[in-house]
Amino acid sequence: MKKRNYFLLTLFIVLGLLLTACGGSDDKTSGGKSDEKEDEVQLIDPEKDFPKKVDKRDDAIEGGTITYAIVKDSPFEGVLDYNFYQDAYDADIIKFFAEPIFAFDENYEITNDLPSAAKFEVNDDLTQIKVTIQDGVYWHNGEPLEAEDYAYSFYIIGHPDYDGIRYGDDMISDIVGMEAYHKGETDVIEGIEILNDKELTITWTEPKASLFKGIWPYAAPKDYIGEIPVGELSGHEKIRVNPIGFGPFKVKNIVPGESVEFVAFEDYYKGKPQLDGVIVRTVPTATIVEEIKNGNVDIASFPTDQYQIGMDTPGYELLAAMENAYTYIGFKLGRWDAEQGQVVQDRETPLQDKALRQAFAYAMDNASIAQNFYKGLRTPATTLIIPFFTEFHNPDLEGYTYNPEKAKEILDEAGYIDVDGDGFREDKDGNPMVFNFASMSGGETAEPIAMYYIQNWQDVGLNVQLLEGRLHDFNAFYDRVQNDDPAIDIYQAAWGTGTDPNPYGLYSKYTSFNLARWDNDESERLLTEGQSLEAAKDIELRKEIYNKWQELMLEEVPVVPTLYRYELVAVNDRVAYYTVDPADTDFGWHQVAVTE
Amino acid sequence: MVKYIFKRVLAMIPQLFILSILVFLLTKAMPGDPISQAFIGNPNLDPAVLEELKEKAGLNDPWHIQYVRWISRLIQGDLGNSYVHKISIAKLLGDRFSNTIILGLATLVLTYLIAIPLGIIAGRYQDSWADKMIVGYNYVSYAVPLFVFALLMLFIFGFRLGLVPTSGSVDPQVTKGTMEYYLSRLHHLILPATTAALLSTVGTIQYLRNEIIDTKYKDFVKTARAKGTSEKVVYNRHILRNSLLPIAAFLGTDIVNILGGSIFIEQIFGYPGIGQLFVSSILQRDYSVVVVLVMLSGFLALLGTLLSDIILSIVDPRIRLED
Repeated sequence: MKKRNYFLLTLFIVLGLLLTACGGSDDKTSGGKSDEKEDEVQLIDPEKDFPKKVDKRDDAIEGGTITYAIVKDSPFEGVLDYNFYQDAYDADIIKFFAEPIFAFDENYEITNDLPSAAKFEVNDDLTQIKVTIQDGVYWHNGEPLEAEDYAYSFYIIGHPDYDGIRYGDDMISDIVGMEAYHKGETDVIEGIEILNDKELTITWTEPKASLFKGIWPYAAPKDYIGEIPVGELSGHEKIRVNPIGFGPFKVKNIVPGESVEFVAFEDYYKGKPQLDGVIVRTVPTATIVEEIKNGNVDIASFPTDQYQIGMDTPGYELLAAMENAYTYIGFKLGRWDAEQGQVVQDRETPLQDKALRQAFAYAMDNASIAQNFYKGLRTPATTLIIPFFTEFHNPDLEGYTYNPEKAKEILDEAGYIDVDGDGFREDKDGNPMVFNFASMSGGETAEPIAMYYIQNWQDVGLNVQLLEGRLHDFNAFYDRVQNDDPAIDIYQAAWGTGTDPNPYGLYSKYTSFNLARWDNDESERLLTEGQSLEAAKDIELRKEIYNKWQELMLEEVPVVPTLYRYELVAVNDRVAYYTVDPADTDFGWHQVAVTE
Repeated sequence: MVKYIFKRVLAMIPQLFILSILVFLLTKAMPGDPISQAFIGNPNLDPAVLEELKEKAGLNDPWHIQYVRWISRLIQGDLGNSYVHKISIAKLLGDRFSNTIILGLATLVLTYLIAIPLGIIAGRYQDSWADKMIVGYNYVSYAVPLFVFALLMLFIFGFRLGLVPTSGSVDPQVTKGTMEYYLSRLHHLILPATTAALLSTVGTIQYLRNEIIDTKYKDFVKTARAKGTSEKVVYNRHILRNSLLPIAAFLGTDIVNILGGSIFIEQIFGYPGIGQLFVSSILQRDYSVVVVLVMLSGFLALLGTLLSDIILSIVDPRIRLED
């Protein structure tokens, strides 16, 4: 007995020490304010409550080094080339040493009005571009950027041995002669004509309405990597260990998977960078907030789910920018017919009735989910063209706001009545309706959010169950949704939109990414018109078309957009200039500076 | 003994063969594949191209054809390529293995440095306050989850006190091969290795303590004492040597275990190693890497038990391996 007491005592002492150490660290930073916060509900509007830039350029000094964190729980993959990378984290590293040859305006279209490595002319029917490389642009190995380098990107991507994922883009595969080259029938891409050292033309087989947004804007250093067989490039040292570009910083040293040291490139064509160098390192999500609090990193994307811990961090500014992505809930209405290459909307489900889908949409309380689970860093979505695309998003459309009474009204009117008194509505013939809801696992909030939606629907009498009573992992989820698993009625997923607002690729009946398997003639007509030559030339016409399409999608609701997303970037006070505002189109890493 | 070892190694072949089929089947049974993953967030991509890429990578073939293709390459020593990292797996493992081995060896050495003296003290001065402290530490270290403890250590020594770097295996600004480089690696190693070591001492301490207490009352110890041998010699010569036997038996498996890497330690300390690679490969459905890593750990486990047997037969003359 005595023996055990001693043991317990020791145990308590040790545990006590551990806990004090643990508590102590938290008290210092947030203890004082946490009491006040409990009472009030803070409503956050990311657009208003966060700045989009820090600008203290008057206090900036020459030189200095900053540390940029990549927040990631596993090492970065290190495929450091725009033509090959797949992981967005790799792109986060590439941007320091390589950049597009064109400049982009606030609508993400290429422009001649900003400083850039190349200027262009496009012909009237949008089938050809003439690119002129500017003088004074040098690769890090001292070679000048030439027309050949730009052409070589296309020769890499189109090559039969190319192992990346860029070839599918029709801006690449529709270049004249590309198909023959891709099949290995010829060594020359007919549609890419090099006129001289600095000029080339690219010709497409058909008018390209999204040319200004979609053209592949990256060059490859042919003198440096031209000798390496394309099939070996992605694994080659010259891409993984010693990559070069013509961007503001040069790679000095790479520790595979964990960090990269950059030094300023003196001959950068937009002028010598302000900083002497940049250190990029991966930081695990578990410790990023602590790293920021300690001042170990200068610029880092801030995990939005830890936002409340970090909001009072002294010495830092949090910037918020809208992400080009949205979350949505889709209704499974058909299947993908691979042979015909189109969607067949033939599923036998009450969801074919758009009144029912509308009721589902009205019953969802997205605003509460945005505030409670995402602390306001996601906002209720209204339409399928996100506000990120300021030109085409229609801010006048309200979308589906939470209105359970309206949902009930619609259901009553449409004849979905609870006839057997079990609390759930039956279909028009009085048969019970049960819907399976599939949602992805990931993060602590995934399950409560799924349950919240189910509760929302049950509140208006719609019997929705979590598919198989649990969440499904990313791969399993998409595998089943893509293959039209008949067990799934409703699913929650998300799309990244890229920088092209054209929704054809996601909602046309001819694309397998139309996961709801929804087929509608009016939508098809609008989507086709939206990417026509006329619409490309006449922005007002295009706006009108996309307006109609946004309205149609709200009326028909094959999918309901639920949330728009914001990302946070923590910037140390010693950073003199940094911006996440898409309007700052001339921003480049060579302008980033420090005050001390 | 040579014959025995040869026999054991020969017996590994069918074991590994069965393992390879099982692992291959199970990995392929996971939903999704490494190439389809790329489609998320990339609506400009033509699904036909994904199909083409899958076809090219041979992912559309029936499993037995894929298996035969893979195993025949493996027998020739070709581990294949990673779908995700786009380099040969041998090269990929090369980068990570050096990290894992360094961290693992440091952990192992530290573990023994901590555990053996503590085990001896606890055993020799049984029921003293020192023994109770040690046993207490043992229970706590057994009960505390590694990731909680690792975070705690990181916050105290990395962030609050700032004594050690908080992530990575080396400072990117030092030049490879210089003295500075090796010091930087060592500096980055201290915290993860100490953390892992502090929590992995439990088995060794417990065994050693029990064994010493056991041996203390054996007849030959009494005889030694009766002959008037000094207490120091009794402990060092007679008791300790016999008590270290089970520890020696563990050495084989311990050495093998460190090659598997530690997921938590690697993740929290941002230390790229095999453990992290394994987890991310599963999540990304990087089949070829997953299969190789499982085969490797299977092979190492077999090797570990063999090693333990051999070590035991060397240190303990009573054990003879049957030919």
